[in-house]
Amino acid sequence: MKNPLSRRLLRELRQDIGKYIALFLFLTLTTGFISGFLVADGSMVRAYDESFEKYNIESGHFILEDKLPDETRAKLEAAGVSVHELFYKEATLDNENTVRIFKNRSEVNRADVLDGCLPESEGEIAADRLYLENNGLTIGDELAGLKITGAVALSDYSALFKNNTDMMLDANKFCVAVVTPETFDEIDENIHLCYAWLNNDKTLSDEQCRDKSDELGEILAADCGISDIVERSENQAISFTGEDMGSDKAMMTTLLYVVIVILGFVFAITTRSTIEQESGTVGTLLASGYTRGELIRHYMAMPVIVTLIAAVIGNVLGYTVFKDVCAGMYYHSYSLPTYVTVWNAEAFVKTTLVPCVLIALTVYLVLWRVMRLPVQSFLRHDLRVRKKQFVPRLKAGSITERFRKRVILQNRSAYITLFIGILFANILLLFGLIMPPVLDNFKTEVLETKFADYQYILKTPTLTENESAEPFCLASLEYDDEEISVYGIKADSKYADFSYLPAHRDNILVSEGFLEKYGLSAGDKITLHEKYGEREYTFNVFGTADYAAGLAVFMDKASFNENFDLDMRFFNGYFSNERLTDLDPEAVSTVITEHDLTVIADQLNDSMGFMFPLMCGFSLALYMLLVYLLSKMIIEKNAQSISMLKILGYTPREISSLYNSATAIAVGVSLIVTIPISALIMKWLFYYYMHEMSGWVSFYIAPWIWPAMLGLGAAAYFIVHLIQTKRLGKIPLAQALKNME
Amino acid sequence: MYLEIRDLHKSFGSGDSRCEVLRGISCGIEKGHICVLLGPSGSGKSTLLNIIGGIETADSGSIGIGGQKIAAMSQRELSLYRRKHLGYVFQSYNLIPNLTVKENIEVGAYLADKPLPTEDILKTLGLWEHRDKVPSQLSGGQQQRTAIGRAIIKNPDILLCDEPTGALDYKTSKEILDLIERVNKKYGNTVILVTHNDAIKRMADRVIRLRDGAIRSDEENTEKLGAMQLDW
Repeated sequence: MKNPLSRRLLRELRQDIGKYIALFLFLTLTTGFISGFLVADGSMVRAYDESFEKYNIESGHFILEDKLPDETRAKLEAAGVSVHELFYKEATLDNENTVRIFKNRSEVNRADVLDGCLPESEGEIAADRLYLENNGLTIGDELAGLKITGAVALSDYSALFKNNTDMMLDANKFCVAVVTPETFDEIDENIHLCYAWLNNDKTLSDEQCRDKSDELGEILAADCGISDIVERSENQAISFTGEDMGSDKAMMTTLLYVVIVILGFVFAITTRSTIEQESGTVGTLLASGYTRGELIRHYMAMPVIVTLIAAVIGNVLGYTVFKDVCAGMYYHSYSLPTYVTVWNAEAFVKTTLVPCVLIALTVYLVLWRVMRLPVQSFLRHDLRVRKKQFVPRLKAGSITERFRKRVILQNRSAYITLFIGILFANILLLFGLIMPPVLDNFKTEVLETKFADYQYILKTPTLTENESAEPFCLASLEYDDEEISVYGIKADSKYADFSYLPAHRDNILVSEGFLEKYGLSAGDKITLHEKYGEREYTFNVFGTADYAAGLAVFMDKASFNENFDLDMRFFNGYFSNERLTDLDPEAVSTVITEHDLTVIADQLNDSMGFMFPLMCGFSLALYMLLVYLLSKMIIEKNAQSISMLKILGYTPREISSLYNSATAIAVGVSLIVTIPISALIMKWLFYYYMHEMSGWVSFYIAPWIWPAMLGLGAAAYFIVHLIQTKRLGKIPLAQALKNME
Repeated sequence: MYLEIRDLHKSFGSGDSRCEVLRGISCGIEKGHICVLLGPSGSGKSTLLNIIGGIETADSGSIGIGGQKIAAMSQRELSLYRRKHLGYVFQSYNLIPNLTVKENIEVGAYLADKPLPTEDILKTLGLWEHRDKVPSQLSGGQQQRTAIGRAIIKNPDILLCDEPTGALDYKTSKEILDLIERVNKKYGNTVILVTHNDAIKRMADRVIRLRDGAIRSDEENTEKLGAMQLDW
């Protein structure tokens, strides 16, 4: 015979519909979003992984100063690679954006056409889809004086890094595009002699690929002048996307599990409260022969059923609505090829089975603890797990103060759950709130500490007539696999305003970000080394340089030239607040403008900006849900007492001040305590993330964030408070007259 | 009369399931008297007590206490009325489970302008040693004494007791009744005591018998006994 208790489930659902609807909606939306994310992520990762073969992505590329001689090509091919021309020209637009233009590709790094078609005639161009979107360009518009025929994704530029050493991609100001060979020849810009190579042996490991790259570098170095050589795994334009998608997945899964465990405790505590209210009935059922297992299963049923239904519907939403939303997030950040939605068993397990198991396990553990009690305990309505009851004495304060303290003590497990939930919600809220100011602060610091409006990096020392120009030296070394800019600056520089630039060749000033990232301080020694060579340079950290744009060290120009064995007159860069129009473009390697310095902030804001308010909304919803459910449970649990207080003559306001104020105190204390804790955790997470990235952005909490968090928390609580005050008012006086025995 | 009840009617349900619980109850109780409402289950005695206590409202009729009409009161006024004039004792004690004995009594004291001294009440009720215990650590008798303490600490004009000994054994029941009697004597409260135990009528000044929602008899008890002399 079917367990007759199961008929009660629907009634339980109806009785507590508010709780179940709130939990159901939250679970559905959370699992839906994360399922959608994992499905989109899985599909994208597969499309990305398959793109290497599908579009024949290079094993690496090198840029030469002169064309590759046939003999060298033969040597390279003998080393087990095929070499393909990937020449490009760069057009600088009126808005200073850069378009890197290639010929139509047919062999390596082929393009995926997402909209329109590849250029077929002269005067046509197909450009990166993301750049076009970011700049409001569509097919038929003009780009670099050419008519746009299509939106494409170049397989070697899934992340639009202009230079491999850039801290961040730049999909707003940097674009890649393809044209017909005839159009390419007609573009009146410098040609960059870029060559891609493909390893003949496709089974090489990552390490073997890097060894191969070193081998090619040695061959090239012997015969030609190399501007750059980049192996595929080190090419951020190719590898950044894959790495980022992987880390996002782990973050989202963790987010889901933390939310599920918190909701598991909410289910457990509210179910335990139901058992407390029904303890006489539970005792009678146990006395009648029902087993503890049957009753645990009965009380677990609703949480598990609600979670299961929410997870299934969430998954349906994930595969339909949220998948597109999340794919849109990736398409908004990366220039990815077309993807096909693939069934993701891992996502199904993670968003359906694991949440159900987590909820079931959490609820089971709490229920098992209470259901172990003897039958008499249920019959006596005495569900204390520890028989020796400790009742703390509360001497100080009025009866109302002590009453509130007793309510807090009575519901401490609910308030502990609330505390943990509020802490988690605050971490999410803080993330949503701090990121825009962090990025703004970074931009401000970068602009405040920049040396000049323009930094010209030269291939060879070239003179200018412009009087605002000041020469400097720049080298690139590595520290812990991170690129460090080494500046040699004139001691009396009018641009670099350091209070004191050490004259001794071993003493350097170090940018704040460098010190912060690697935990260095004045007096430490650091050793920088060449990226491709073996030479090492050890310096004493003499002090801090006020420079936020990147990881850099600074020394006197004379010391620089001495350290790098250069002629004292040598320089390879200019600081200038004016454009240096008289410089030979052939002699200029790069021009660093304000935008280049702040691109990391702009790009993060652009690709993640919409996430910040979403995070704030999600965290406030979680916060309100927890406060609502737990305060509702506390009121329901004490309905008998509240009713009795009404009979005694307490007004609704007085009763609210006893029960709701206890929750208000718990919420207030949780908010005040968890805000600094969440800031510490966020700082740790932020630094952990920044350590994984190249460059450094300082952690910064804008002063307004503290009151904003308190204010948002208080406002969210106030809404719940109004609902609960209304609920409290609805408890009938007759509740106390019901024979609870 | 201090408490005057006139033609009180009360019914529950509607249509076929409508049940008339009180059918025109009229009676009066003198200030400082102990009045026992006697009757079998379903006779309407608890409903009458709840209407006097302002927990339920009558369909028609009126109740006046010291010249004040209950029927005309709003919910807030009813709250104030209970606060000012009434003390309530239930069969199931209805103590606040997470408060100690002393705190439960103080919950009553909070409502009064001039409450009786808590320590005196604790000692009078024999709860001094148990003052820091919570209800679940007490026996039924101790819990009921706490409930009485909570009711009387504000020195109410009327003490409403709904089957106060219903859940207690013989000996404890007598102790509780004795306590109510002592409180009545000491503080002069009017006590209305609902019971189905016929023996308790002998400690009353006035005995009202109910059956099927109507008064079967309403008489003064001229041979009043002390609670400890009762036997059943």
